[in-house]
Amino acid sequence: MNLLAIETATQACGAGVRTSGDVEVTRVLDLERRHTEVLVSGIATLLAETGLVARDIDRVVVDIGPGLFTGLRVGIATAIGLAEGLGCGLVGVTSLELLAHGAHDAGVRGMVVGVVDGRRGEVFVQTFALGDDVQARGGPSVATPRDVVIEWATNGASVTFTGDGVDRYNADFNAVSNGQILAQSVPSLHAALRLGASRRPQESVAPLYLREADAVANFTTRERPV
Amino acid sequence: MAVVLGIETSCDETAASVVDDDFHVLSSVIESSIDQHRAFGGVVPELAGRAHVATIGPVVRRALNDAGLDAHDPGIAGIAVTSGPGLIGSLLVGLSAAKAYALAWGVPFVGVNHLEGHLFAPLLEQSDLEWPLLTLLVSGGHSLIVLQSGPGHHEVLGETIDDAAGEAYDKVARWLGLGYPGGPEIDRLAQQGTPGKLKLPVSMTGTDFDLSFSGLKTAVVRATQKQRDVAVADVAASFQAAVAEQLLRKLRRAMEKYEVRGVALAGGVAANSALRAGVIRLAQEFGVISHLPSMVMCTDNAAMIAAAGIYRLKSDGPSPMELSARPNWQLEDVT
Ligand SMILES: [Zn+2]
Repeated sequence: MNLLAIETATQACGAGVRTSGDVEVTRVLDLERRHTEVLVSGIATLLAETGLVARDIDRVVVDIGPGLFTGLRVGIATAIGLAEGLGCGLVGVTSLELLAHGAHDAGVRGMVVGVVDGRRGEVFVQTFALGDDVQARGGPSVATPRDVVIEWATNGASVTFTGDGVDRYNADFNAVSNGQILAQSVPSLHAALRLGASRRPQESVAPLYLREADAVANFTTRERPV
Repeated sequence: MAVVLGIETSCDETAASVVDDDFHVLSSVIESSIDQHRAFGGVVPELAGRAHVATIGPVVRRALNDAGLDAHDPGIAGIAVTSGPGLIGSLLVGLSAAKAYALAWGVPFVGVNHLEGHLFAPLLEQSDLEWPLLTLLVSGGHSLIVLQSGPGHHEVLGETIDDAAGEAYDKVARWLGLGYPGGPEIDRLAQQGTPGKLKLPVSMTGTDFDLSFSGLKTAVVRATQKQRDVAVADVAASFQAAVAEQLLRKLRRAMEKYEVRGVALAGGVAANSALRAGVIRLAQEFGVISHLPSMVMCTDNAAMIAAAGIYRLKSDGPSPMELSARPNWQLEDVT
């Protein structure tokens, strides 16, 4: 099976291809929120490097977040366009599980907290237990970095923090004496390809926002440009 | 017959359409998220973006199916997508999907200016278009008077210096306690009212073809405070007449200056009954052909984007895969 992975949940944009012949190429295409500009041309390049054309793709796996809303929509709209256009399978994976699997691949064991920058002083977090495999402990949620730090410093358990949210709030997470940091600013494309291959294709995928549109609280309107 | 898929997601409509190179519309699908925005009195960008990503796949699939094409191998000549102006978060969904479909099918894609799309709408319904053509393009976001020497060749003669006409409708509707969007609400009410019952000034700001609507809402507020006994229907009729009066006066001025053979309406406000009637009268007076798009062609749709895209693909060629959205792309900058 030929797989294509799309990663746009953070400031970074990445893509990966794994061929039925087990040739794998993953690449971070950009680090500065230029998802729209680099993603599709990057995919085309990766396909060419692995000797594939778009028609050869059997399955598209996409990071559905949580993460940057705009980035997620670029990645998911691209995944939908490819999967619909090709009539191939589509699988959504979360940014937080990709971080956990990335940590597992890096040899980390024990408790791991995936931390994705959510802007506005908040992070998206989820806890995993890493042993022979990766087990989620509860679902993903929104929190302030401080809350996460206090929770782990208080319970005293050994823990590894990983994700771009840790990079952003490095001082906070460094202050947890029972914690370690695994640098991993981009959710793992390698893990995305592996998880994508092992799961059943979905009817549709949608961004995992974890936050209401601001509309409810303090929305900004723009009049209707029909 | 070469056909092009059009995709439009610049505001709250998710739309896809298949059009052939003789400008026949083979399919046109429009899904709107307007119901989600009503309570906020305006389009909420984040809600619009969320709706687009949820509907883009099904909408494109339906457009291909309705046109009798294989959704996985449609055999189209290219894809046209609105790349500006509009809400950035909305534009990006359509643009990203369009690039992906283009890569999947190995066909070219082109980014189209939404306003140029509106200018192409009459070509989809009338084969007897005559140039030069004067078009009044009025919508919630834009108000322009455009001189076209031919398809794809345009000169912006004037545009609003403040609010768009549709914005004025929304603001006045809000003041009157009517629903959003204000255009259809006021138009409907105005049918039961008498224009002129409320005394309103007709703004003729500027010496040329520029338009202005920001003063009109204030004028309505002041006039209704002074004349408290005027029925809401009469306020709606008076306001609508004042908007149409300004637009038609400017249009007349342009027709006096430029020798044209046709006059057209485009954009959401083109659905307005007073404006349509006025343009027909004006065309008769000047002995030129009038082009009034059907209601569905006035509002945002993807057929008009496909039509403009057919022209742009031929004249300019495809856009690069690196194309980004241009939320403030002016019609003047389309060449
Ligand atoms: Zn429009």
